Amino acid sequence: MANEKHFDEWYRLDNAAKIFPAVSTRRETNTFRVQVSLKELVEPEILQLAVDAILERYPMFKVRLKAGFFWPYLDYNSSPFYIEPMNTSVCGPIIPKENNGYLFKIFYREKTIAIEIFHSLADGSGAFGLLKSIIYEYLHLKGYKVTPDNMILTKDSRPTREEYEDAHNAYYDAKNRKHVPEKKAFGIKGTPIPEGHIGLISGVMSTKAMLDLSRSNQATVTEYLSALMMYTIYVTQIQYREHLKANQKPVKIFVPVNLRKHFPSKTLRNFSNFVKTEMYMTKSDITFSEILELVKKQFKEGMTKSELIRKMSENVAFEKNVFLKIMPYFIKKFALRIGYKILGLSLNTISFTNIGKIEFPDSMMPFIEDATAAAYSGKFNTVNGAITSFQDKFKITFTRSIIETNIEREFFRHFTNQGIKVEIESNFVEEY
Amino acid sequence: MKHCDKCHVDVNTNQEYCPLCHQVLSGESEPDHKELYPDYIPMRREVLPLTKKVLLFMTIISILTLITVNLLTWNINNTLWSLIPIGSILYFWLIVRYGVLSKQNTAFKLFLLTTVLVMILNLIDRVYGAVETRGWALDYVTPLAFLACNLAISVIIWVRKINYRDYIFYLITIMVFSLIPIVLALTGIIKVVWPAVSALGAAVFILLFIIFFFPRSIKDEIKKRFHI
Repeated sequence: MANEKHFDEWYRLDNAAKIFPAVSTRRETNTFRVQVSLKELVEPEILQLAVDAILERYPMFKVRLKAGFFWPYLDYNSSPFYIEPMNTSVCGPIIPKENNGYLFKIFYREKTIAIEIFHSLADGSGAFGLLKSIIYEYLHLKGYKVTPDNMILTKDSRPTREEYEDAHNAYYDAKNRKHVPEKKAFGIKGTPIPEGHIGLISGVMSTKAMLDLSRSNQATVTEYLSALMMYTIYVTQIQYREHLKANQKPVKIFVPVNLRKHFPSKTLRNFSNFVKTEMYMTKSDITFSEILELVKKQFKEGMTKSELIRKMSENVAFEKNVFLKIMPYFIKKFALRIGYKILGLSLNTISFTNIGKIEFPDSMMPFIEDATAAAYSGKFNTVNGAITSFQDKFKITFTRSIIETNIEREFFRHFTNQGIKVEIESNFVEEY
Repeated sequence: MKHCDKCHVDVNTNQEYCPLCHQVLSGESEPDHKELYPDYIPMRREVLPLTKKVLLFMTIISILTLITVNLLTWNINNTLWSLIPIGSILYFWLIVRYGVLSKQNTAFKLFLLTTVLVMILNLIDRVYGAVETRGWALDYVTPLAFLACNLAISVIIWVRKINYRDYIFYLITIMVFSLIPIVLALTGIIKVVWPAVSALGAAVFILLFIIFFFPRSIKDEIKKRFHI
């Protein structure tokens, strides 16, 4: 048996991953999608070969989720993995039983390759790492001359322990872990899309125009867009609804922060935290510039190193709590569900991820068209956004579990009103 | 590429309406344009196949009939005898659902079905059994069922070597379960000792075999299942 050595391999769930198996359901799937379009049609047979080769390099993903007495864990999966043609479900539930036990799916369609992945395995950065490796191997197998240039993990390199580490456990600070209580956030209501489908709308703009626009407002792109997001929610959901304004919960934007940029970790698993912007929108004449100033201030406070460490340590401390530790998992599951309901989802109005610039080696650039990321939307966070940029394509992707599209509409009209060209892509969920 | 005059955006599609404002898009459809995301194919709502419908219908009718007859003949035989056939019918469904249709691993199926069967037979024995034969379920069925289950799982491990790690957990559990008849025998509740002893003997034999010839697997399995 060639793979005998893998049989010993199993992984604890990392600190952030531990919550997801307990709280994921058909509607709250906790999956996300990363997607890259090539300039030519994808050949499924070659893609399958590339995936098979790369999964050996990424043992962290070649796993199944198993029940332990205290915690679930990831155990080596000896079953084969099969890619599949893309279907209409975006970030739908990943049912391991129907997927040979795997916690991710790889789709192909026309020129596009997409990975949908359960959040327990990795975060956006890790998933893009896997996707880049697969595309590299795919192009390599097709006979193109591509080089990894140290930016891509190829099948010839060897996995290192560092890539599997639970970085939260490595960098937390036991002294800086104060819990700061939070208020519940305003939730965007709407008509659910039947059958639990998720609508997806992307807007593609010029990266240069985006950078110029945010710089002319003395803000970073993330700050500018988060502020715009808040403003859009205000205009579409709150401004003209007195009954909401009177007794209103704060609008909160949850912006994940990639901690690999703040700590020297190379992990492929979850290693991100968040910064939140928060505002009580009780007035009827809030302006965009007012929100932008507030967002800039809150970003500055939230992104300080000690604040990031505090948020990370708070979670680690929760996990290290002795009572929680020794509680059998079937009881712990309920504790986690209740905790997540109170302290998790309902504290955010919307989650807005900036994955950032997607980089490929120069030799691969001519083959790549663009890159997309999308997160699931569920019952409470009915609209979510994700940003990727590839060369001069700046792509903002909204997913929604409701039929209404007024947030997306107002958001993109903000740019077209300023003369920035926007190109829309959609999965046309409303035509179903 | 189509255009929405209201939102002032280009829309990369052949669809008719703007995804943002649902107005009609201007511009011509490009005949060789492929949509970025697939068209909707209605999810096949799982309509019950006819055989399943018939079986389910018969199940419910039989259960209702059994209960009715049981209650109408209460003055002749005042026991809830209908629970025995009803239990068997439900067990049949358990076999269909978890034994045949489920994709769970075989050891889990065997283990679950055996445990439930043992429980049902013990209940029948306790509640309805004649006094002179009482105890057969505990004396013979319980240990021998676990013995059979244990042997079956071992054979599966032997035949499909690759997955043996998935099955060890159930072997250990059966080992623990096989201790129960022995304890009952020691406390005198079980009168016939040989089935209990042979069940435990087989369990210990298989476990020792694994410990001696695959020593790390058991240690690893325990480490994994019980990590804090």
